[in-house]
Amino acid sequence: MLDVGRHPKVNVLAYSELVEFAGEIGNFKAKVRQKPRYIDASRCTACGACAEKCPTKVPNEFNFGFDDRKAIYKDYAQGIPSMFTIDPNHCKVILGGKCGVCAKVCQAKAVDYEQKESFVELNVASVIVSTGYELFDATQIPEYGYGRLPNVISSLEMERLLSAGGPTKGHLTRPSVIQGEKRLKELPKLIKKAEKDQNEAEKTKLEQETTWLEEQAHKYHTAKKLGFIQCVGSRDFRFHKYCSNYCCMHSIKEAIIAREHERETESHIFYMDLRTVGKGFEEYKVRGAEVSGLKYIRGRVAEILQDEELNPVVYYEDTEQRKVVSMTLDMVILANACSPSKGIAKVAELLGLELDENNFVKTHPNRPLDTNVAGIFSCGCAQGPLDIPESVAQASSAAARAAEVVMTEGLPIAV
Amino acid sequence: MNLPDIVDRTGAYYCLDCGICTGSCPVSRVYPDFSPRLMVEKVLVDQEENPLEDINVWACLSCGQCSVRCPSEIDYPEFIRLIREEAARLGKGGVPAHRGLFQTIMRLQTMDVKQSKTDWAKEVGRVAASGDVYFFVGCAPFFDVEFHDDWGLDMMDSPKGTLKLLNTIGIEPVVNDEERCCGHDLFWNGDTENFAKLAKRNVDLIRSLGCKQVVFSCPEGYMTFKNRYPEVVGDLGFEPVHIYELLRREANTEKIKFKPFETRLTYHDPCRLGRQAGIMEEPRDLLKSIPGVQLVEMEHNRMSGICCGTSAWMNCSTCSKSIQKKRIEEAISTGAETLVTACPKCRAHLSCALRDMDTPLQIRDLNDVLAQSIIV
Repeated sequence: MLDVGRHPKVNVLAYSELVEFAGEIGNFKAKVRQKPRYIDASRCTACGACAEKCPTKVPNEFNFGFDDRKAIYKDYAQGIPSMFTIDPNHCKVILGGKCGVCAKVCQAKAVDYEQKESFVELNVASVIVSTGYELFDATQIPEYGYGRLPNVISSLEMERLLSAGGPTKGHLTRPSVIQGEKRLKELPKLIKKAEKDQNEAEKTKLEQETTWLEEQAHKYHTAKKLGFIQCVGSRDFRFHKYCSNYCCMHSIKEAIIAREHERETESHIFYMDLRTVGKGFEEYKVRGAEVSGLKYIRGRVAEILQDEELNPVVYYEDTEQRKVVSMTLDMVILANACSPSKGIAKVAELLGLELDENNFVKTHPNRPLDTNVAGIFSCGCAQGPLDIPESVAQASSAAARAAEVVMTEGLPIAV
Repeated sequence: MNLPDIVDRTGAYYCLDCGICTGSCPVSRVYPDFSPRLMVEKVLVDQEENPLEDINVWACLSCGQCSVRCPSEIDYPEFIRLIREEAARLGKGGVPAHRGLFQTIMRLQTMDVKQSKTDWAKEVGRVAASGDVYFFVGCAPFFDVEFHDDWGLDMMDSPKGTLKLLNTIGIEPVVNDEERCCGHDLFWNGDTENFAKLAKRNVDLIRSLGCKQVVFSCPEGYMTFKNRYPEVVGDLGFEPVHIYELLRREANTEKIKFKPFETRLTYHDPCRLGRQAGIMEEPRDLLKSIPGVQLVEMEHNRMSGICCGTSAWMNCSTCSKSIQKKRIEEAISTGAETLVTACPKCRAHLSCALRDMDTPLQIRDLNDVLAQSIIV
């Protein structure tokens, strides 16, 4: 991705959206709205001095709120173009208050609180729609307790926890402990305030909370007994009928990596059937069991409760044993389905694209990158759930198809 | 209906064999021989054992917990009920609870018997001989005979409370002694013949009275009229409405005022009312509108509300008692003083288990709690 950012012939319009679109193959006209970053792109060197000094903390979306970012921020370290952005919903100056710290510390003089949105008009021969996907919102399955039980997390949250650049630097800290540690930082102030107000009852309550949280942080710091629940929202008539394709593999991968981080990790994968279809995938599954000690349990989890120590307790039928069992775990990771992105309907309307029954971009059965509009192609999760190798392959292929249009000036080519 | 048709009608061929149903089933957790998944498998895969002969067919509570979680949306309660219908034709059946008393009362009502089931209404509130709104009293007067003296349970609390609520919002409903049992239990016992007779009698009566709306406090009566009667009698010619739906529509005009009641309550969702009719927030909102009431939730609530352990006066067993006790323990752990429910059956069943438990927890009917707090 960084290579794309540096390429002289690739012009990246990030933080932008398509607003108008017309024309036909070989001659499309597109109007793109560039949202103001309040930063002069030609000056920002992404040194990060601004974010270091910015006093406004905002929950970090990229890390799912496990840590904070600043009101002037970069979505994530490798993002392109490599530059900072001011979040207009949180920056004190843009909200009409006083601050201006970032402008003061910026040596490149890149901060511009007055920046307005701008529009770019493009004339292109071909278009590739690769708008990606959205994670299935697991709060729609209340029996899994996602959003309610702190130690039930999504697959992407697990990715962030496992990442060396993530909120815990790759350590599998239980989310309840991450939250507890945040609260522990607030508590001394609150206790002092209660002392000042001579509110004994409140003080005792807060002190008890402190003791409990400290004990939790000490006793249950690291998640060692993990449960991975497959097909959360996929292969489910209530939500998405389709199989999300990549979840079996990413759960196995996350479980293997968790074990590499911590030798004592014990992972259980609750599945209906493990769809490890692909080059080397089946071998990877077997390696998971043999080398990393993963346990594959056949049975979709029925519900997740929680014990007093905030441990998730899963209830399921082990269909091979024909027994209803419960298992207490340290943390549960849901394999959320691949949902179509929310903005896809608007993009499809602008481009005149047909969507399929699941709201992914409809593609031709024999030419899997072609949409219903000549000259517009689609690749990756915009057209359906795909894993990384397949998405990469499709991307190269889509680029080639688009290049064909450019080189033939829109004339049809025999396939 | 033969087995392939039952599979067809309930979508059972979509079964993924995933085990969510069995993992969710309150019966399977206590009584491992019962498994919704294996029952479907047994019907789908031709096996030596005849599903119609399987005694487990009668153990299902038809609470629908499996169905709402089923990724293939299989209508499992209906699947079981259709099998029961066939099995009943072969002379099979479940074990009737309370010595079959209630089944006998239900079947007696298919005939020309004289009843006096509405005398209480004139003492409690205002009723009319004719009008637009009919109040379907249901079986509480019969239950009262069984439970009032033995257990000290006043089963009339619910209809009495409902009548007070109706009067408060300005409705003087029609009640009638000729009213029959709605047939819910016979229907779920597999006795569709007598169910149809009861349905016809009730619908004929209400049509002859010219009522346009029928109000229910019993969730079973409501769901049976709404979903099952049209299958037997066609278009009803009147609208079945549950009291809480009616209150939601009518009571926002501040017709009901409650006096303060300082207490901690928890609410048990009856399966017919909650999961199946989708009426989950209205009872909670009503309770919360009483000043001083602190409503706390049990671990299993709303769509995950646990069944009261037995259904259709059948197969009440140690398994039922175990489910009921677990439910009561869940209520106790919330610190509530009272467990409130909105179905006469839930109240009877949970109260039965409560008799063997050493706890100050009370079990009351929602309509009763509301009626007691109304400022008239």
